[in-house]
Amino acid sequence: MARAMKLLSIFLLAAASVYAQDGATHADWPSSGGTQLAWRYSSLDQINTTNVKNLAPAWIFQTGDYAENLQATPIVVDGVMYLITARDQVFALDAATGRIIWHYVYPPPRPGRPGSFSGLAQNRGVAVGDGKVFFGTNDAFLVALDQKTGRELWKVSVEDPMQCGCNIFAAPLVVKDKVIVGENGSDVAHHGHLSAFYMKTGRLAWRWDVIPGPGEKGHDTWKGDSWKFGGGAAWTTGSFDPQLNLVYWGTGNPSPDYYDAERVPGTSQGRDINLYTDCIVALDADTGELRWHYQELPGDIMDFDSAYEIVLIDREVQGRMRKILVHVNKSGITFVLDRVTGEFLGVFSTPEVQTWITGVTEGGEVVGRKYPEVGKTITLCPGTAGAKSWNQVAYSPRTGFVYMPINEICADITPNSQPPEEGGFAINAAVELKVPPGRTTYSHVDAWDPVTGKRLWSYPYKYLLLASVLATAGDLVFTGDPEGDFFALDARTGAKLWSFQTGAGNRGSAISYEVNGRQYIATPTGWQQSQVGAFASGLFPDQSWRQGSTLVVFALPEGSR
Amino acid sequence: MTRSLLLLVLCTLACPALAWSQNTQDVLKQGEQVFNLRCATGYCHGARGTPAGAPRLAARGFDQAFISDTVSHGVPGTAMSAFDKILPPAELMAVVAYVAGLNGIANPDLNVGQAPAQPAGPPLSPEAVRGRDLFSDSFRGFGRCSTCHEINGIGIPVATPIATVPADVQALRALATPQVTTAAFGGEMMPALVVRKGARPVVFYDLTIPPPVLTTVDSGAVDFSEGSAWRHSSVIRSYGDADLTSILAYLREVAKR
Repeated sequence: MARAMKLLSIFLLAAASVYAQDGATHADWPSSGGTQLAWRYSSLDQINTTNVKNLAPAWIFQTGDYAENLQATPIVVDGVMYLITARDQVFALDAATGRIIWHYVYPPPRPGRPGSFSGLAQNRGVAVGDGKVFFGTNDAFLVALDQKTGRELWKVSVEDPMQCGCNIFAAPLVVKDKVIVGENGSDVAHHGHLSAFYMKTGRLAWRWDVIPGPGEKGHDTWKGDSWKFGGGAAWTTGSFDPQLNLVYWGTGNPSPDYYDAERVPGTSQGRDINLYTDCIVALDADTGELRWHYQELPGDIMDFDSAYEIVLIDREVQGRMRKILVHVNKSGITFVLDRVTGEFLGVFSTPEVQTWITGVTEGGEVVGRKYPEVGKTITLCPGTAGAKSWNQVAYSPRTGFVYMPINEICADITPNSQPPEEGGFAINAAVELKVPPGRTTYSHVDAWDPVTGKRLWSYPYKYLLLASVLATAGDLVFTGDPEGDFFALDARTGAKLWSFQTGAGNRGSAISYEVNGRQYIATPTGWQQSQVGAFASGLFPDQSWRQGSTLVVFALPEGSR
Repeated sequence: MTRSLLLLVLCTLACPALAWSQNTQDVLKQGEQVFNLRCATGYCHGARGTPAGAPRLAARGFDQAFISDTVSHGVPGTAMSAFDKILPPAELMAVVAYVAGLNGIANPDLNVGQAPAQPAGPPLSPEAVRGRDLFSDSFRGFGRCSTCHEINGIGIPVATPIATVPADVQALRALATPQVTTAAFGGEMMPALVVRKGARPVVFYDLTIPPPVLTTVDSGAVDFSEGSAWRHSSVIRSYGDADLTSILAYLREVAKR
């Protein structure tokens, strides 16, 4: 029987490999990454390189919730847009006009632990499925609303913010009959989880602990009791391959961030240190069981999470069609893996200024790594803000390129050995952010071929780029900047074709959708006032990037299509 | 004699100032250490008051009263915590003095922030401390007490505050829970803790599996019946007798405060 099942599995895998999966969106934008494959690519081509110059606002929606900014990815299903604000107000809007269909206001959150992220109000999006709208909250609940009315249906506590110092900023991911969410908290003394709840009832389906407990495989990669507050939070949104029935998620850095003497066992060397932090993991969608892992940066001491989005694409690699995944580490080093097995396939590095290592081998090992030492100040690039933030890349199957927003930023880091206190900050360094010397531009949108590891073009920008990228079948790449310009590049050349001043900094995730035969491009606006948005503001004090919470929606004027 | 007198006068004038200055320097040094440990994380402020995830603090023209108030009480709606709940008074004063120094205040008032801490009551016994840690032991996942009970702000207040502490472990395991009823909803029966009934939508916790799910349904869509197969003992299975003894010690000592 077991042999028959194994043969069946091999057959199914072989059959699945014949058909490349379509990760493009069509009329709807149903998931945070567009589809569960996280391409952030729309198959719509009404707006294209020829007519994009005519693109103009169709409608504008001001949420009225000006805490922080508007970071969310809007979700569009059947002509209705679902949008969430920083303080967890949810709107259902007519996606053609912006008319409010319903409006839900989450009550003031329970207080969180002092000296942690708990006071921050941020939200990066909802998920929609089973007739419900799901979102995580600033006090670490997962909530389900009725998709038609906005009425609350169920609510469940994922973590206690007063204890963990954490909250949920990421959009949940709908997978089959479940909704999966992770809380943040790699920079506080906490240990991360992924939690799956049944969409119908809100009941827990499974939970995967990022840090293995006593007796579990991988526990011996931690020194003493350090695993208890080992970080590794799965704080962004993962991906799902329905053919393989595998959920892919990235995990955060080990904690304490810049001090590893109490968490790395003396015998550790090579791979698999402080599991499963800084990993890409593949979990069985039904059970949460770990199928494989790949640790991008063993023994990380640079706060270089592996938590960002994971792009699932099917491409020919060395003459063979492979199901691969592409993942940008916070350091900017980008890994390409076989997503069936976790086999390493390739690596390339995206930042132009990189002093924390001397390079990366063809096998994916970083070499010449510099280690921050307690009490000594060291300047490293990329620094604490990373070469990339949580804003997401896009992939176009027409060009085969992955479009990446990359920043050039450094930091002076002075580590300390402060013992952790549960839920409190465990960054363990005094940090001073810097820009690298001798440059006039500090970010770029790049087009990379993930198979060859070649950069095809690069569009430089003078400050930092912290908005997600959108690619479309019109061979356009859209993103926005902190000065408020939302712009379109030619997907094949990087030439700037259009821009529009939205009135506030861009830190959200643009989407494209269609209603009644008309293609729309929607982008959230409003500059982030904390964390990496504030990092950027502080580096350029002569700039005044504006807050806000406004969705700007573009279309071609009637008659110009 | 004249020379000695002059030295005496000079020393009388200068020595207190020198001592004060030395004390200020020590406090500022301590303040810098506290600032680097607690504030200059990059995600919050940057070293030396440079901007990072939170605004620049150096050379902003802040006066010491503003600094003290902000550090002590935090900034609502942001990650700036009320540090009077985190830092001992001496460290609080030191970090206020350090930030004052970053704002050009050369001689900060070293009495600011030195208000005596609120009396916290008698310290917990070692067993109660163990019980407190077990009560909210996050390594038990949703099997910990704080999944349903809140004490001193820790935990999710699903259950009403604990009014009577069970006498012993046996009583804790056998705890009667008449408030848990059986809900018939969506074609299935489930243990339920009702929060609100009546004409408006009904709100109850579905206790089928931890964590409890706060469920809202139309009043006509659910029926409740007395009693349930749900048992308190089934949700505290991760704890042994010694663990529960410590937790009870914690509950008793908290109840006395």
